[in-house]
Amino acid sequence: MLRNTTGLGRFSRRARVTSAVAVGAAALLALSACGAGGSTASSSSGAKNLTVLVEAGGHGELQPIADAYEKQTGTKVTFVELPYDGLYNRLNSEFSSGSVSFDVAALDAIWLPAFKDALTPLNDMFTDDVKADLFPSLVDGAQIDGTYVGMPAWANSEILYYRTDLFSDPTQQANFKAKYGYDLVPPTTWQQYSDVAAFFTQPDAGLYGTSVKGAVETEWLANLSQAGEKNMVIDSSGKSTLGDQASLDALNFYTSQVPNAPAGAAQVDWAAAQNLFNQGKTAMMLFWAHAYAQIPADAPVTGKVGVAPMIGGSAGIAGVPGPWYLSVAKASPNQQAGLDFLKFAYDNNALSVTSSLGLAARISAFEKYQDDPKYAAFKPLIATLNAPATISRPANAKWQQIVDSVLIPMIQKAVVPGADNQQLLNDAKAQVDAITK
Amino acid sequence: MNGLETRRVSTRILLWIVLIAIVVLYGFPFIYMLLTSLKTPVETIAVPAQVFPSLWTLENYVSALTRDGVLSSFINSVVTAVLSTLISLVLAVPAAYAITRYRTRLGRVFILVALVTRMVPAIVVGAPMIGIFHSLGISDTSLALAIADTTISLPLSIWLMASFFEAVPDELEEAAKIDGASRLGALWRVVIPVTSGGIAVTAIFAFLASWNDFLFALLLTAVRAQTTPIVIANLQTQFGLDWGTMTALAVLYSIPVILLTFVLQRHIVAGLTLGAVKG
Repeated sequence: MLRNTTGLGRFSRRARVTSAVAVGAAALLALSACGAGGSTASSSSGAKNLTVLVEAGGHGELQPIADAYEKQTGTKVTFVELPYDGLYNRLNSEFSSGSVSFDVAALDAIWLPAFKDALTPLNDMFTDDVKADLFPSLVDGAQIDGTYVGMPAWANSEILYYRTDLFSDPTQQANFKAKYGYDLVPPTTWQQYSDVAAFFTQPDAGLYGTSVKGAVETEWLANLSQAGEKNMVIDSSGKSTLGDQASLDALNFYTSQVPNAPAGAAQVDWAAAQNLFNQGKTAMMLFWAHAYAQIPADAPVTGKVGVAPMIGGSAGIAGVPGPWYLSVAKASPNQQAGLDFLKFAYDNNALSVTSSLGLAARISAFEKYQDDPKYAAFKPLIATLNAPATISRPANAKWQQIVDSVLIPMIQKAVVPGADNQQLLNDAKAQVDAITK
Repeated sequence: MNGLETRRVSTRILLWIVLIAIVVLYGFPFIYMLLTSLKTPVETIAVPAQVFPSLWTLENYVSALTRDGVLSSFINSVVTAVLSTLISLVLAVPAAYAITRYRTRLGRVFILVALVTRMVPAIVVGAPMIGIFHSLGISDTSLALAIADTTISLPLSIWLMASFFEAVPDELEEAAKIDGASRLGALWRVVIPVTSGGIAVTAIFAFLASWNDFLFALLLTAVRAQTTPIVIANLQTQFGLDWGTMTALAVLYSIPVILLTFVLQRHIVAGLTLGAVKG
């Protein structure tokens, strides 16, 4: 018989194993009910804990503020970090479900229109004094359909990075002057930028004038404003402005730099452009201001980098503001505590400057540190963000979709030699109009 | 060497070349990741990229292991994956057994419907889960994530187990019943031991599904239950990418799965063979 042939001892061992598995499973279940990362339970009063959702890395900007807030109020701020793309998906899913796991979120400016209905209005916070201490484009971007829904936490913009060792080299200076008839200085206009980029492009020596980023859209949007476009991609009636003269000028200028840049422009994104510059492969780079403080200590260009405001076209210099806003979720049970934290974060915004990203949002915070060599990028950043031609990205709920499905593919096609820029812009206009109609 | 032997040797050499090519194709990304994790921060972003480090360093591993949240995320990954595997097996084994042994029309419909759930994008399931788990009070727990991960692994587990059970002759169970075993007793004492290789294969697939899950972990965890794939992804920010730490953490995260596969290699092969010879 089966029972006899397997033996009593074997059944006992099986029983012991089964018991052990059951005990293990129970322990696992108990452990799984909490997780290993510590508790984030918020009291319903909202007084003791606040959960803040941030993009990975953004937590560093807010940590000094959170520490000071806890010291002053006793409220512990817990940060939940998520990757950039994932953060949008998480917010979208949670706001759609109606239940949120956070009280405050740090949001990219372009997301505010999409989430405005799920965010607590902040109109009372935007007093005249507050607005006077923020860059106009940041105040503009915080307001969706007449309601303020985000308080700027930190602001950024592309500025010009250049190699001081190359620009101050007497031989290079003499050769440049002989070739172009004016002094080799950090460029301020499209023409100067083109000249300098072409001058330093020496593929045999492994050096290029600049990089062309085909996989991101922001730099071309800055060119658009520099070319005099008053409405970025979409006008006030919701129609696309792509295909007009300013957009063509901007795209022509953008793609004109391809011969002055390393091959493979269609795939170059921010990280690639930054790597190329930090490795000493490009003489200039248009990049976000925070990168100045992030040049690795052992990089070939360390100590040889200068910064200047963003270059200008016919409408003067312009950048694309890259602010992040703090917003309070309407569905949060700790709404008042969240609003208190936002007020505290604004009042103590300068604390963010000393963090890893080294950025702030208030003009007074930037000005406080602008003369410190460590923060040399602040003056160009202030000049770029204050430039009259600098405008915010459109407050359109479908902006992210427009960027991902229209603008970036258009730029990637445009940087391929022989592309018909006017046709690409016309096609893109039709696509944008189809998305926004 | 006659013609037949020559042809045999040639075939063997050709097979080895194809085998090596496949191994290189699949293995190179991992080897490159491993080598990158041993480079200095500057070398990880060197243009053009170099395969081998000029200066070998464990700096990235120190950075990865001392980073806030890494250890707890690793524990969460283990707990979630083990729990999800257990849930998946506990549900899949009886379901697959019933389908293969009772052979009803409803059973055939069920197994087809189970497969259809694999065709639904995970995000569609994930969004409602946020509200459900919140209502149940298990938001941001490994249990909630394990349940969510089981929705990925369960259909495949049922299909795998069904194919393994099909390969077990009915006569074995009948013999057990003659010896006095009930149907459940026969399942527990005869069928499951015979299909242990198949269960090991199913367990590995279920474990891997949970271990590598990103989307549910992104949607359903915050601080307490955050798993390592999210921590790895967090090293890519809008303003920079820490290649060295990221690759070091990815290598560390791969080790348990590689070890598990080696340990269970015999069962995997046996299990796959069991499924393959089913007539």
